[in-house]
Amino acid sequence: MARQFSISRLPGFGAIALLTFVLLYLPIIILVVFSFNENQSQSIWGGFSLRWYEAAFDNQQVRDVSIRSLWLALVASSLATILATLAALATTRVSRFKGQTIIYALINQPLMVPEVVTGIALLIVVAFIKVQTGYTGMGYLVLAHTAFCIPFAYLPIRARLETMDRTLEQAAADLYASHVQAFRYITLPLLVPGIVAGFMLGFVVSLDTVVITEFVKSAGQDTLPTYMLGQLRRAVTPEMNAIATLFLALSLCIVTLFFLVTSKRG
Amino acid sequence: MSEPQPTPQPEIEITGLSKVFGQGSAAFKALTDIELNIRTAEFFTLLGPSGCGKTTLLRVIAGFEQPSQGSVRINGQEVAGLGPNARPVNTVFQSYALFPHMTVAQNIGFGLKMLGRPADEVAATTADMLKLVQMEAMADRKPSEISGGQQQRVALARALAPQPRVLLLDEPLSALDLKLRKEMQTELKRLQTETGITFVFVTHDQEEALTMSDRIAVMSGGRILQLGSPSEIYNSPSERFVADFIGDTNFLKVKVVEALTETVNVRLPGGALHSARLPDGLRPAAGDDVSVVVRPEQATLGDGAKAHLTGTVTNSVFFGTDTHIHVNLEDGTPFTLRRQNAGNTAPPAPGTMVGLTLADGALQVIRE
Repeated sequence: MARQFSISRLPGFGAIALLTFVLLYLPIIILVVFSFNENQSQSIWGGFSLRWYEAAFDNQQVRDVSIRSLWLALVASSLATILATLAALATTRVSRFKGQTIIYALINQPLMVPEVVTGIALLIVVAFIKVQTGYTGMGYLVLAHTAFCIPFAYLPIRARLETMDRTLEQAAADLYASHVQAFRYITLPLLVPGIVAGFMLGFVVSLDTVVITEFVKSAGQDTLPTYMLGQLRRAVTPEMNAIATLFLALSLCIVTLFFLVTSKRG
Repeated sequence: MSEPQPTPQPEIEITGLSKVFGQGSAAFKALTDIELNIRTAEFFTLLGPSGCGKTTLLRVIAGFEQPSQGSVRINGQEVAGLGPNARPVNTVFQSYALFPHMTVAQNIGFGLKMLGRPADEVAATTADMLKLVQMEAMADRKPSEISGGQQQRVALARALAPQPRVLLLDEPLSALDLKLRKEMQTELKRLQTETGITFVFVTHDQEEALTMSDRIAVMSGGRILQLGSPSEIYNSPSERFVADFIGDTNFLKVKVVEALTETVNVRLPGGALHSARLPDGLRPAAGDDVSVVVRPEQATLGDGAKAHLTGTVTNSVFFGTDTHIHVNLEDGTPFTLRRQNAGNTAPPAPGTMVGLTLADGALQVIRE
């Protein structure tokens, strides 16, 4: 019997695969390794140390921006998840209507419009409102991040709703449940993994974005990524490596959780 | 078609029902002019091939689809326009549609809970239902943790728990293997007799329909072609489609020689005369060409002199309890007869000329 075709036996497969992984992970590995460096160099290893982690934890500014980042991500992704859930219900639990595809596209706008364009657009609007009202609080960042997170939260929620067996909702109605009861007892509990996944995706996206924050923030509203960018313009110390490594660990945790939640009960 | 006996009130009364999906040139007429009375406490089956409209009709009764025209009354009350949660009917879905995040017991109690019954009543009825379908041991399992046959029982119990007037079953046995299906057929019949609830059963399996039903409606192309008891449907099919769809059948072209009140005398292909029964509303005159059907067990191999038909054996197939003998009649029409394997008589060899004797009342005239 002839062996099944496998792309892994084509010439050059191993080399290309290796190159891809090197491109993906070598810079990150170097970053992580040098976060444990004893001396201040990014290229000469001086022995293992946690001094840059201590420095980062002792740095009041780092603590401030980290808390701001987490708070912002939490608020923005929560709001985005609620809106995305409503949007997903409105686009999957109705009879097909004209322009449904356009609605999908419109909801997914931030996925398609370059981030910098969204950033400039937000900057102009925010500047205008600032002049009119004099308000300079966190509200702008919350709104900007919420808007930016909506499509990321929307995708897994919609996917969950679309793959859900519609007969279950019919069975609930058949067993005397009202629309509200069918949603409360059947749709919502089955949607939870999608909602959690959407929330976590939104959280990570809000935590990561530099561009949106950079354009919208007022003075003293740095998030962790914009703070790090600002620091790097001055001096690159392994303290940045340490912060970046912790940041990476947090993102990895959330993404892992995301995969666990979405694969369970699939 | 025999008129329904004068029952005080049918459980389900459907008049002038049509259902159209889509609009304009894309419109599809799934149901056309359905007139149907389903009696209280009967086991009623909608039988037909896929796409015949039987599931759509069930979904209209359940309230998942609204009729385009006509009326549906359940226990005298017009239900067109009402949602499924406002109708005294429950459904057993083809896919069972058990709630995956609830236990077996929670699934069964769901309907009563939605009806706002007190918790102790829900618990008591759930326990009764678990017992009725012999699933007490599985009460705390999730649907994914029980077998397909057990899921089937839970789906039944869940639909029976609110004590509906009518239970709708949408091909509930199609996902089960043969042995389990036979068991569940008996089980369903037992539950129907015990609960006294009207069952409306949808299936494409003619054997299932014949063995379980009190009455059967054979559907095709969105219409009801024939309605009657299993023996009426089997013995007196009124249309070619019904005769062909249910059981094995031989079709013969014959000429009417004499029209009587209830029957006609016809001339068979070989020239022999035989009486044939007529379907309701069809009154052919002498000289008309009509089609008749003969079930394979209604013909026997006989001696040439008294035979109604003669032909050549083409082959015989052994089926265990009986043997099917395929014959080509003199005019080339294929004919199959079924002979019980009581003795050890060998079937006639291919090429043998044989005579076929038809039982009295074996012929039924059909509409084309």
